[in-house]
Amino acid sequence: MKIDDILLLSYVDGALSADQKQQVEEGIGSSAELAERVALLRASRLPYQHAFAHQKLPEVPDSLVALVGRLAQGGAGVQADARSDAEEDSEQHEGSNQETKFTYKPHATHWGQGPGGVLGKPSVAAPAAAAARRSFRIAPAWLAVAFVAGAFCWGVGFRLTADSRQPALSSMAFQTVPAGTSPWVLAAAGYQQLYAHETLAEIQPDMAQSARTVDEIRREDGLDVHVPDLSSVGLQFKRVQRLSFHGKPLVQIVYLPAKGAPVALCVIRDKKPDVAVAQQDIEDMSVLTWRRGELGYALIGKRDNTSLPDLGRMLAENKSGQLFSKAALDSLLAAMT
Amino acid sequence: MSVADFPSILPELLPRLWAFALRISRDQHDAEDLVQRACVRALERAHQLKPDTSPLSWMYSIVHTTWINELRARSVRSRTSAEWDDSYLETVADPSAPNPETDVLNKQIVRAVERLPEAQRTVMLLVVVEGLSYQEAAQVLGVPVGTIMSRLSRARQAVGSQFGTRQDQKVKDSIKG
Repeated sequence: MKIDDILLLSYVDGALSADQKQQVEEGIGSSAELAERVALLRASRLPYQHAFAHQKLPEVPDSLVALVGRLAQGGAGVQADARSDAEEDSEQHEGSNQETKFTYKPHATHWGQGPGGVLGKPSVAAPAAAAARRSFRIAPAWLAVAFVAGAFCWGVGFRLTADSRQPALSSMAFQTVPAGTSPWVLAAAGYQQLYAHETLAEIQPDMAQSARTVDEIRREDGLDVHVPDLSSVGLQFKRVQRLSFHGKPLVQIVYLPAKGAPVALCVIRDKKPDVAVAQQDIEDMSVLTWRRGELGYALIGKRDNTSLPDLGRMLAENKSGQLFSKAALDSLLAAMT
Repeated sequence: MSVADFPSILPELLPRLWAFALRISRDQHDAEDLVQRACVRALERAHQLKPDTSPLSWMYSIVHTTWINELRARSVRSRTSAEWDDSYLETVADPSAPNPETDVLNKQIVRAVERLPEAQRTVMLLVVVEGLSYQEAAQVLGVPVGTIMSRLSRARQAVGSQFGTRQDQKVKDSIKG
């Protein structure tokens, strides 16, 4: 019988049968090296739990307690971004084929909880957002957290705005929100506010995945969305995401300039008549909105981005080039099969 | 516990998740981000939690996986003990301690475990500190039970080498006392 580390551990822990024990003891008797290893194992029988129980650790941060508390309250309704989750899922033991299919399901991200949602007081939403912003510094995959926090923060706003019995709280929640702003634009702006340059700088555009997403948006959601090519104005396409706002498909196309905050073009189905470009400021975000061909558009950037109005007009007039044209899309999709 | 109940138990798991995240990441800021991210991922996958799996073990698994992925993302495959920041490696004076030697011993034990190579340290944390069974630890780390036992054996031999016969006798005495 080969006496290895596992057998020696079992011997020291008294977990061997009488026969095995005898064999190990015979081995120890004839090998000083084995005897030494057993001595070391015996010396390692220490009160570990007692020692670690008295280790001085930093307290659980308040921001973490708040965030987990909010996740616990609203967790059942929260499902974060499908694509970033799938990208991150490199560990086999935690996933399965079934899971991979699940994470690619459409509209896996939901914005806003709506009236009567599972949301707490607005005063505790801020730490969650702060925690989310902080988490961005590490990696794009942390976006899931940001999304959750964003949904809570802005969901609170929706609830309060919808509840006219609480005008004081409502005004506190959105001091800088112009009257008449669409809820989906508020949600998109709130979400975009959490993005920093660093958030997206590490993301390499995955054109194959993006092509698949665009194809799904067009085929399954029935949204004739075009992805503008804005490289001529210094904006690099980063990704297109298929999101959901109160059950309605919402497309988010994100671009990054060489310097400064990212810019997002969001699109949702909106069957009202066309309207021209209008600008509004929501907190520290600037938003240009317009409606064309039963699609509502919101171009969102930081307020200090002075080129945003011109960009909005260019997009509204459909003057930009296009990524994922039908021919390009067919080619990319064919390459994937 | 049903899937719907899972979010509600997260707050009560938080202190242990926090301690585990601190001990494997050895950095307070990393630990905070790690727990946040693990909780979000857990909620996304709550439907995967099987009735016969301990929610705590499952969360440890997600924390560990998230941390390994993070290390890979940073291209830091392993941290050497030389990089170990022991800024929080202190033990609180134990008012119930029979003598000051117990406190000293506590610190020595913690330090000995923390200085192990990462794979061995994680197994020690799960099995001898958190009290998971070999099978549970194997599930958390996604490795065979034999691997857990092998790592544990080597880890304990390494720790044992720092506690000689004389030290061992003191330990036994302190446990009895």
